Amino acid sequence: MSAVEIKNLTFTYPGAKEPILKNVSLEIEEGDFLAVVGNNGCGKSTLCKTLNGLIPHFILGDMEGEVRIEGVSTKEQEIGTLAKKVGYVYQDFENQIVCPTVLEDASYACLNYAMEDYEEKGREALEICGLASKVGDYVWQLSGGQKHLLALAGTAALSPDILILDEPIAQLDPMHAGRIYDILKELNEKYHKTVIVIEHHTGYIAKYCKNVLLMKDGGVKWKLSAKEGLRRVDELLESNIFPPQVTRAALQMKRAGILPESVVLPVDIEDGKKVFAPYLKETGPFRRETAESRASERKLENGGKLVSFDNVTVTYRAVKGEPPKIFDNFSLEIRKGEKIALIGSNGAGKSTMLKLMMGLIRPGVGRVTIRGKETGSISKEELGKTISMVYQNPEEMFIMDSIRRDVEYAMKVRKVENYEKRTDELLEMFRLTDLADRDGRLLSGGQMRRASLAIGIALNPEMLLLDEPTANLDIATRREIMKTLQMLKGITDTVVIATHDMQLVCDWAERIIVLSSGYVIADGPKEQIFADMYVRSQVGIRPPEIYDMGRELGILKPCFTIDEFIGCFGGGQNA
Amino acid sequence: MHKLTENILDKISIDFLRNQVLKNAYGNDDTVIAGLDPRILLVWYLFFGLVPWFMNDLVLLLCFFLFVVMTTRAARIAPLVLVLFCVGVFTQTGYLFIAALFFGGNTGTIVPLLVMTLKVAVVSLASITVFSGLDPDRLASGLLWYGCPGQLSFSISFAYRILPVLMEEFQNILLSYRMRGNPPDKSTFFGKIRYLGYQIKLIIQSFYPLMLNTAKRSRTTVEALELRGYRYSLQNPAVKRMKLAMLKVTRNDVIFVCVSAVWVAVSFILSAGLSNVI
Amino acid sequence: MNPQNKITQSQKLMVFVLSMTLYGLATLFTELIPSFQVGIVEFSVEYFLFIPLTLAMLFDPLSAALGAATGELVFSEIMLGQFGGLGELEKFITVTIGVFIAGRIVRNPQKRGMVAFASILGVTVQQLMGCAVDILKVQFAVEEFEAVPGLPESVFFTEGFACLNDILFSGILFCMLPTMFLVPKLYGKIEPLLGMKPRDEKTSLAGGVLPAKTILICIAAFAAAIAAELLASGGYELIDWEAAWAGSTANIIIAIIIAAVVSLIVIGVIRSRAAQRNEAGQR
Repeated sequence: MSAVEIKNLTFTYPGAKEPILKNVSLEIEEGDFLAVVGNNGCGKSTLCKTLNGLIPHFILGDMEGEVRIEGVSTKEQEIGTLAKKVGYVYQDFENQIVCPTVLEDASYACLNYAMEDYEEKGREALEICGLASKVGDYVWQLSGGQKHLLALAGTAALSPDILILDEPIAQLDPMHAGRIYDILKELNEKYHKTVIVIEHHTGYIAKYCKNVLLMKDGGVKWKLSAKEGLRRVDELLESNIFPPQVTRAALQMKRAGILPESVVLPVDIEDGKKVFAPYLKETGPFRRETAESRASERKLENGGKLVSFDNVTVTYRAVKGEPPKIFDNFSLEIRKGEKIALIGSNGAGKSTMLKLMMGLIRPGVGRVTIRGKETGSISKEELGKTISMVYQNPEEMFIMDSIRRDVEYAMKVRKVENYEKRTDELLEMFRLTDLADRDGRLLSGGQMRRASLAIGIALNPEMLLLDEPTANLDIATRREIMKTLQMLKGITDTVVIATHDMQLVCDWAERIIVLSSGYVIADGPKEQIFADMYVRSQVGIRPPEIYDMGRELGILKPCFTIDEFIGCFGGGQNA
Repeated sequence: MHKLTENILDKISIDFLRNQVLKNAYGNDDTVIAGLDPRILLVWYLFFGLVPWFMNDLVLLLCFFLFVVMTTRAARIAPLVLVLFCVGVFTQTGYLFIAALFFGGNTGTIVPLLVMTLKVAVVSLASITVFSGLDPDRLASGLLWYGCPGQLSFSISFAYRILPVLMEEFQNILLSYRMRGNPPDKSTFFGKIRYLGYQIKLIIQSFYPLMLNTAKRSRTTVEALELRGYRYSLQNPAVKRMKLAMLKVTRNDVIFVCVSAVWVAVSFILSAGLSNVI
Repeated sequence: MNPQNKITQSQKLMVFVLSMTLYGLATLFTELIPSFQVGIVEFSVEYFLFIPLTLAMLFDPLSAALGAATGELVFSEIMLGQFGGLGELEKFITVTIGVFIAGRIVRNPQKRGMVAFASILGVTVQQLMGCAVDILKVQFAVEEFEAVPGLPESVFFTEGFACLNDILFSGILFCMLPTMFLVPKLYGKIEPLLGMKPRDEKTSLAGGVLPAKTILICIAAFAAAIAAELLASGGYELIDWEAAWAGSTANIIIAIIIAAVVSLIVIGVIRSRAAQRNEAGQR
């Protein structure tokens, strides 16, 4: 029997002109591990909400057609009955956690449905999700990744047969992301759950999922096995889904005549090894020295010291017991003109470092100085002219009721001359002119990011700090953000980005600082960092897939882009 | 005046406030008071919250006051809450005294007011002991046992869950204003008044983004609540029974009740003895 | 049936949660913002009532009002340990009534005049009720109230002044102006976030603006508020009256025991009522 059966489903949100789901018919087998892909606004989330009965039971709107869960229509089932069959983890999972302590939240649903062994069930779910050691903790003590696991545990505790996760790894570092997927795999294989994920990281789809479903404009385009689906590169690209780099590289090489037509496109490194190995031409290490000499050259080029951390120790106020130390005797220097990527696992101290520079946290011991002045002693308003920060959550950047007013706010209150003209320029530059009168919060993820960047650089700060600028974005929007970053050249030349996005790091950063539990464990150009296996294992950073593919094949020079990789096969351009 | 402007955003940082509230809620869950049965504590509170109003004996009130001071200490209450308590007691009676003097009162006014202040203090400290000393969840269960609606106990536990999140968001929004804003110069006296007004305006304005952001959040929260059976729990008496099954009267509770009773008895004997002497 | 115009239970819950968290947070701050005194006149940022007022005008007024009252109770009273026992019931009820009335009379949130009038009316209603209760409270709490020189006048003056001050200062500055600023700004923006339609003339109300039933309920609730307050702070007239024979220790002890028994009986009644309610299987 199929776990889910959808027949001719059409759904329109109240007030919307067009239906968001158009005549969807679909069957999902029991025990499937299905990835749902599609560009923003194609109805992925809406589709998932029809499965757990939120539509039509709580979200009003016109629904036609039928959704059957284990053979029974959702319309005929109560939400409580459905909740025991279908679990749902939201993209903004943080808001799904409603109890103050971990165990309570995990067993909350079981308690509400009056299961006598609710606490046992909660514990069990926490065990599966790897939170056994956190049972007695309070929710606010958890890191982002752990909160996500808790949201999953709270859902899994009811032991539903179907689990739906909306973009489960959008905010996680690669190590935690891997852990979530390992747990999902275990749930799928060992506990025979049907798992449905909305996902755009095709690397994870290739590694974990069994099937993949492509949605477009509110309809189902196709449902294929994961490998087969990922090979349909052109169709995926059309929907702004980027197939694994290995797959894309192979397709390009096929088209360039480097690989024969008969080759089946690889979707992961394992396959790639078999496909690429016979055609490899050069493995020479000719770029290595140039990379390093470039790095030293750059150091000379850059201007003087801008920010410096001198023996900084930071402790947080503890609720109980010893205050935890985030930094202990931490020293670092940032020079003018540097493009720095700050990487490290969740909770390594990245945000704390940004906050120190903004003077939001004062160090217990030591000094953080900007141009020799201590950040804590400069008023925030003064500081805003030198340094600007864009939050991880762009919604917190929007304080006025339209994008235009948000962008101009800082200039207006400072009585900058011709601020209207500058606002127009900024809006034009970030392609926001058409959206200028909309409220920032009501825009799409990518638009929100662009707008928050425009706000961040409105005052022409000398230095820009970005906290996870590409989190929660699909890959097409990420590219757009990277393009935007390139545009900053000449306006703001010192930029520090805290990120998990290794593609962003490779494409953009000149200096990479790796933080691990409050210490700088590596600091240098990308070639050096990614080659350092010790660092990689310590913080769980993962370079782009194509880099690993190159190394697997024995290519000595590091390839960070597909073009560089193809170059080793005697094609493409060496950019 | 200067102190006031300093206080609003500079001295009392939201971070500090958040820490104090969390400390008060969760930092003292290993104290004697926190381990007691919430039902017993609520009865205890009812006694110490009501009885002092009926008494006018200074000695007796002082004895009671001493006792609740000790229980407050045992509950390890965060300093901020105690400061608020002092301010609260003053605003309830202290200013009345000043006003009474103004209208031609004399030192004779002080005794009834002192009695009243003591009454207020005993009642307030008893409430601080119970409501701040108890774990929010245990408090919620205790209230539930006494028949308070399930919505209230949900609200309490949800409030403790959401508070750190909300505060952080509020902090970030305020910060956006501060970094992008341009406050008036605060070196002169009128500048200070303008600065104060500016700060208050900022706080009010920051509720506009906060409202929209919270609206986004609460939609997910409520959908999740529906899915996780919140509404079922309100309708099903079995759920309540299960929630309350964890409440047990232990030996500590008995000791606590006995100590309270003995203390009250001794206070009476003492006050009676003293009044006889006089 | 027209499901589009009906507010569902879960949407009411959303408004409740929204109002509770936001107003709760605001009251937490106002507890901490110091009041400053010019002479005996106290200027305090009494509360940020504009938050529930705004929400009540945009969404279901009752949910917003109850949410705000609960938020204040939970965040600033229970969390900070400022819980005054039964007396809090008074604030709970007056805030609910004030916000509810204000939210109820706004038909079209885009009319600024209407919004301004409603918000100041809500504050006035709430403040007047609070003031009346406060005066009665002191009268009962201090024995021989009339006999203490200067006290009655000072109570009437300070309470009356505080009330006027709150209406004019807090009311205009912190309720009316921000509400006028926020309501039109949020109108049409915040509703879709909760999956609702903006309020218009049709969706706002069933029945008149203020049906007699609503007014009656409000009055009854206010009476309950006074009763609760007096019960909590005044104690029983009885005890004062008996103070004459309370000279002997034994009598005081008897009085205390009676008080304890009464409190136990109160608990018992509450308990059994709750049990009955559960059996009835009410929500």
